[in-house]
Amino acid sequence: MLQLKDIHKQFGDNHVLKGVDISVEKGDVVVILGPSGSGKTTLLRSINFLERADAGEIIFQDKTIDTKTATKKEIHALRQKIAFVFQNYNLFQHKTALENVTEGLIIARKMKKDEAEKIGVQALEKVGLQDKLDAYPVQLSGGQQQRVGIARAIALNPDVILFDEPTSALDPELVGEVLEVMKEIAHDGITMVVVTHEMDFARQVADKVIFMADGVVVEEGTPKEIFVHPKEERTRQFLKRVLPEDYTVYI
Amino acid sequence: MTNGLDYPFLFQTFLVALSGVPIALLVTVVALLFALPTGFAFALSSLNNVPFIKQFVRLYISFVRGTPVIVQIFVVYSSVPLLLDIFFTANNINVNVYDIHPIWYAFIIFAFNTTAILIEVFRSALSAVDRSQIEAAYAVGLNTVQAYRRIVIPQALIVAMPNLCTATINLVKATSLGYAISLHEITLKAKVAANVNYNYVEAYIDIFIVYLLLCMTIEFLFRQYEKKLSKYKMQPSAA
Repeated sequence: MLQLKDIHKQFGDNHVLKGVDISVEKGDVVVILGPSGSGKTTLLRSINFLERADAGEIIFQDKTIDTKTATKKEIHALRQKIAFVFQNYNLFQHKTALENVTEGLIIARKMKKDEAEKIGVQALEKVGLQDKLDAYPVQLSGGQQQRVGIARAIALNPDVILFDEPTSALDPELVGEVLEVMKEIAHDGITMVVVTHEMDFARQVADKVIFMADGVVVEEGTPKEIFVHPKEERTRQFLKRVLPEDYTVYI
Repeated sequence: MTNGLDYPFLFQTFLVALSGVPIALLVTVVALLFALPTGFAFALSSLNNVPFIKQFVRLYISFVRGTPVIVQIFVVYSSVPLLLDIFFTANNINVNVYDIHPIWYAFIIFAFNTTAILIEVFRSALSAVDRSQIEAAYAVGLNTVQAYRRIVIPQALIVAMPNLCTATINLVKATSLGYAISLHEITLKAKVAANVNYNYVEAYIDIFIVYLLLCMTIEFLFRQYEKKLSKYKMQPSAA
């Protein structure tokens, strides 16, 4: 349903993406792994044009968008169907948890306020924050803020949710609650593309794991293929570095 | 040997000075009504690198900031009537430019002056709102106008509040320069009253107190409004 073709992106002299191809099937959970600086986040951000790729195509639900010439209208239409969860949550600081979730529904989708609030409450219930509806972001922990961020994404009923390192800004003891919520969403069959360093999540939840390094896709496959039988030397080196010595993969 | 303060005069002139408050406030309000939207629009376009506007804004700000207000007043008050006179004569419009009420000049000078200051206030306030807020707005499907209206501007406004308060207070105080173009505001009224018996000390004390009260009131109002706007920044109470 979502396909990226030959995506290129350069920041000055720094060639961050050097022709990346990725395809995501409906209902899949795709996890993108890779060392920092490999271009994973840039790739994810270029999918909904938070970053405009210099060249390449995004094919979404049989519509092809040339990243170089994409119009405002095309980008806007795309964003209506693709939600994004940020590394630093990026909640609207001056709005309550519920207002954060309903903002897109009321303003972008022109939904009636009470209808939007009903959906908003449901989304916040889903992430276990039904008693924090009226809390402002500063009053919430990092884990709670990120769960609001996830609720904000699912409330939009998107076809795909993009997660940009959703747990890397969190204190270690708060990571679990966010991953739990993400697993639950994955079980609901929502299509997800996740950039993360959480190997357990990748192993347990992913339908497909993509390993990126230096702006290209080095290897992709099922978690078993990547974690147990990696073909490429780069992948092996990376896994050796990030996984504990005595890590055994049960799949 | 002095006779001490003339208390009845002090009290009387206080009321006279107080009667200049509406004019001072009128000039302030008109200047702000012009400067708020104009300053905001210029700040926004300059931040978004609209061609020419950025350079124009920079030049405009250095002109306004690089000259004393009193000099700006003299320049406008002496040159604008000349230009108008030429214009009126050329077009056979029968208006005597020297009948134009000085408050119009005050409007022009303070509106332009405050605009320059507010451009800077809004520019820093808008840049203080993190780029991630716009990205989040885009991500939930808002377009640029909606993102600014709903997300960026409300937050920038709160950041701008203390500086807006300072700018407003400076503006109120600067209206005292209106006496130079015989605008009957607080300062001039009290001075005129003092001229009769040379009670300048009393008059100056009155002027002092009137401005102090006026500015304290404005500060109080701003602070209340700021508190109301920024309730989201408050941590929950221990209760």
